[in-house]
Amino acid sequence: MTRLPAAVGVVILLAAPLLTNNSFFQHLMIMVLFWTLLGASWNLIGGFGGQVSFGHATFLGIGAYVTMVFYLSLGLSPWLGMLAGGIIGALFALPIGLICFRLRGPYFSLATLAVAEIVRLVALNWEQLTAGPMGLLITTLPPISFGSMTVNWESKLPFYYLAVALAFFAMGLTYVVSRSRLGAYLMAVREDIDCAEAAGIDTVRTRVVALVMSAFVVGLAGGFYSLYFRYVDPDAVFAISLSVEMVFIAVVGGLATTLGPIVGAVVLVTISEIFRERFQAGHLIFYGLFMMVVIRYMPEGIWGRLRLLLGRNG
Amino acid sequence: MLNKSKMIAMLSLSLAMSWGALAEETLKIGAPQPMTGPDAPFGDKFKKAYSMAVDEINAAGGVNGRKIEVILEDHQAKNPLAATVAEKLITQEKVLVLTGGRASGQAVEIASVAQRLKTPYMVDHPSADVITAKGFEWVFRNNPTGSIYPVAFNKFISEVPDAMPKSAAVIYDNTVFGKTIANSVMTFLKSKNVPIVSDEAYAVNSLDFKPIMTKVKSSNPDYVLLIAVSTTDAILMTRHAKEMGVTPRAFVGYGGGFGVVDFATQLGGLADNVYSSAAWSGNPNNALTAEFYKKFKTKYGFLPKEHEVEGYSAIYIIADALKRAKLTGNLETDREAVRQALLETDMVTVFGKVKFGNWVGPLGDQYTNQNIYSPDHSVLAQWRGGELLNVWPKANAETAYIFPEKTVTR
Amino acid sequence: METLVQSVVSGVLTGSLYAMIAVGLTIVFGVMRIINLAHGEMVMLGMFGAYWSHTLLGLDPFLSIVIWAPVMFGAGMLIHRFLLREVIPKGELNTLLYTAGLSLLIANLALFLWTGDYRTLSLSYAVMPARPFGIAIPIPLAIAFFMAIAISTGLYLLLTRSDVGRAIRATAQNPESAALMGVNVQRIDMITFGLGTALAAAGGVLLVPSLYLFPTVGEILIVKCFVIVVLGGLGSVPGAIAGGVLLGLVESLGAVYVSVAYKDTIGFVLFLLVLLFRPAGLFGVGRS
Repeated sequence: MTRLPAAVGVVILLAAPLLTNNSFFQHLMIMVLFWTLLGASWNLIGGFGGQVSFGHATFLGIGAYVTMVFYLSLGLSPWLGMLAGGIIGALFALPIGLICFRLRGPYFSLATLAVAEIVRLVALNWEQLTAGPMGLLITTLPPISFGSMTVNWESKLPFYYLAVALAFFAMGLTYVVSRSRLGAYLMAVREDIDCAEAAGIDTVRTRVVALVMSAFVVGLAGGFYSLYFRYVDPDAVFAISLSVEMVFIAVVGGLATTLGPIVGAVVLVTISEIFRERFQAGHLIFYGLFMMVVIRYMPEGIWGRLRLLLGRNG
Repeated sequence: MLNKSKMIAMLSLSLAMSWGALAEETLKIGAPQPMTGPDAPFGDKFKKAYSMAVDEINAAGGVNGRKIEVILEDHQAKNPLAATVAEKLITQEKVLVLTGGRASGQAVEIASVAQRLKTPYMVDHPSADVITAKGFEWVFRNNPTGSIYPVAFNKFISEVPDAMPKSAAVIYDNTVFGKTIANSVMTFLKSKNVPIVSDEAYAVNSLDFKPIMTKVKSSNPDYVLLIAVSTTDAILMTRHAKEMGVTPRAFVGYGGGFGVVDFATQLGGLADNVYSSAAWSGNPNNALTAEFYKKFKTKYGFLPKEHEVEGYSAIYIIADALKRAKLTGNLETDREAVRQALLETDMVTVFGKVKFGNWVGPLGDQYTNQNIYSPDHSVLAQWRGGELLNVWPKANAETAYIFPEKTVTR
Repeated sequence: METLVQSVVSGVLTGSLYAMIAVGLTIVFGVMRIINLAHGEMVMLGMFGAYWSHTLLGLDPFLSIVIWAPVMFGAGMLIHRFLLREVIPKGELNTLLYTAGLSLLIANLALFLWTGDYRTLSLSYAVMPARPFGIAIPIPLAIAFFMAIAISTGLYLLLTRSDVGRAIRATAQNPESAALMGVNVQRIDMITFGLGTALAAAGGVLLVPSLYLFPTVGEILIVKCFVIVVLGGLGSVPGAIAGGVLLGLVESLGAVYVSVAYKDTIGFVLFLLVLLFRPAGLFGVGRS
């Protein structure tokens, strides 16, 4: 029964960019997918695991810079660079996790913030590696062909499908984890970490594994950012605001749900564009307000509330 | 069977309609600017400058009978958004040419997009060298690059007797702007064997400069060179430097903040004799400049400075190119025509002379389509009694310079 | 030698102002166990209050504390009563996120109303610093320092000598026991939040003549506050004061003797180290 709507949804998703010639609209769709991807990966550790990280931009930035640096200095194809970004992001998650998970609750959140800022400052000052505030710019992407078709990098389509693939990967991962033992452990840790420990769960390992997975996906997203926007500087990819927005998407959409992040991304991207375009007033006012309203009246998020109303438990 | 008169009537009607359509179709200029968020005050300056230029040009009959129009899009000072709105302007609004950008990070994105989507981008204010140093044939720049800002100062210390620094402290913000200018300044000083006794990069919008200035004081520099992209940093740095008792022979500031009225009103006497080596200080003795000041002040109630002049001049440069370009209605060929027209630009604006060319900058960057008169735009000015007056080169000077610094007491 | 003394003096003076801002945050945590991410915005509002009353009414900012502290006290109580009270029972995570949303809301409303223009407040009597023994001491900073001492003393007296203060300390120690002893915990929570907000605003008022203001300054300040309260021990008022002075010193000496570019990094690394190895703060007086 749930397969049909899901299949329809997938078909629409795949066909959507072809239905319009409006490249700005295509861009908005890509941004929705991008934020879904980020929100879903944050959800792994934040929603399911209850570990509120305010420093996830660290992994985004690492992924972005790795892709850029490998391409510009080593000539490594950005595809592999993206993968490398994900892997190196995941590698960073190991020490970060081991350090930060010794702390609980708000202390953990503060620690992630500190780590993110330290990484940002290092990226800003370590010029030999990152070119500091000057940033790194890609002017051309390498030609790639599938059989006889060469990918046209000027069109939005390749990026759209790449984003779809990444977003699906993130959501798929979320789904698999939520049904797995790891997921059960994570939720146990979220509910009561001492009980979980007492029940014999290795809470540090559980959380670190989740963080590593989360970091891998966010690292991939960082690589995507490099390819799509072609210019990376420390403030664009390591900013605290990015970390906070990831949290918002997951919370507003629905913590610990697979589809919540899509809803969160759609709502927030739409709102911010409307505000930017029509009202020329800071859309962030709305973000803040919405966040407060959701937490107060719908802590399970929009999708969480919808699910309750529809009487399903997906 | 259509009779002759009906045919003529229909033809005339359709001709009239298409004529009307052509006449109504404005020439569109796209301008991404920060309209909300912390950078919004700057976006607003450009908005005012652009609209004054557009109104004047349209009132004088437009460009070849057609009106011009500037379409502003808010990029909130975020790089990805700047790329997005640039694309939107190019593909949705179908603009003929872009300008604006404001901050270098966003301008780099816009330049990249413009180059890929083959739309001319006439940079009016962003100063990062890289924007015109990547060989982008679709990108043009009127204003000087960051590495050119110090040129007037360099001339001053080379030409005025005994002005060559015996040592220098260089303090700059850790942004593209700050680093580029700092590099340029230090490269020149090193080439003259001036020891740099203090080389400090600070985080922009630092709340407190006293520690840095304490450190600078202990290095006892002959000259103190301050670089700030943010106005408040400029003001606070100078205040803390003087408070901590730093006493060089001269303070030299680089950055918009050192040239605005706020600098003098906030610092009062502390601003006296501070030099400003900037992209444009505006010589009121120049007739064009004086007229512009008057018009702007009358219309908006405050005196314009660097940003407003740059925005205003940009529109005039673009209008000039649009006039010379052969526009056929086909967007692609029209954009190429505008680009060709820009390549042939040779005119004078309120900002100064402009002609785009390929040449090598002070730090060795190979520029493409950078205004060849840029080094001449760099002027050294000095604060005196609340007024910023040009002092070097002599040709632009409004008054004699005061050197060395006499007002700082130990 | 002169550099060292100057560094230390500057660091202590600036640090005392940082301490003022952090005290409010730590009190709120101590009593209610919540971390108020909107705290930086409270400081910002205090700064703007002092700025507007100076610019529009000619009121000296240091005197205007008398207006703004009570006003923000009231505002804080209202925020608690109508916004926070319903959210706190939903848990730490939710409260944290709620205050994050509140912070965004206030900062961006301010941005919308007052624009992002940076403003400074110049005092006619404060243009040049005093120079006892050749050490430069900016006058507004010195005044702020003494006022900070006065406020801290007042706070100390309030907490130790008054009934309300005792109730606050009791609630901080153990809300259930306090309730059993007849303390109206909800009311104390509300008063505490008001007090924390008032202290934040007072800190802002003291800061504004020495600094500059813009609507998003809260972002930078809240990060400093965290570092301070963690260093000093979450929930401890003397800890926050010591932590503030310490941070001021670290920043000042760090800039001079280590590196200006990395001075913020030093602060964060210290912060992380303390979080990991001395969660009760450097002085061991914090609670977890």
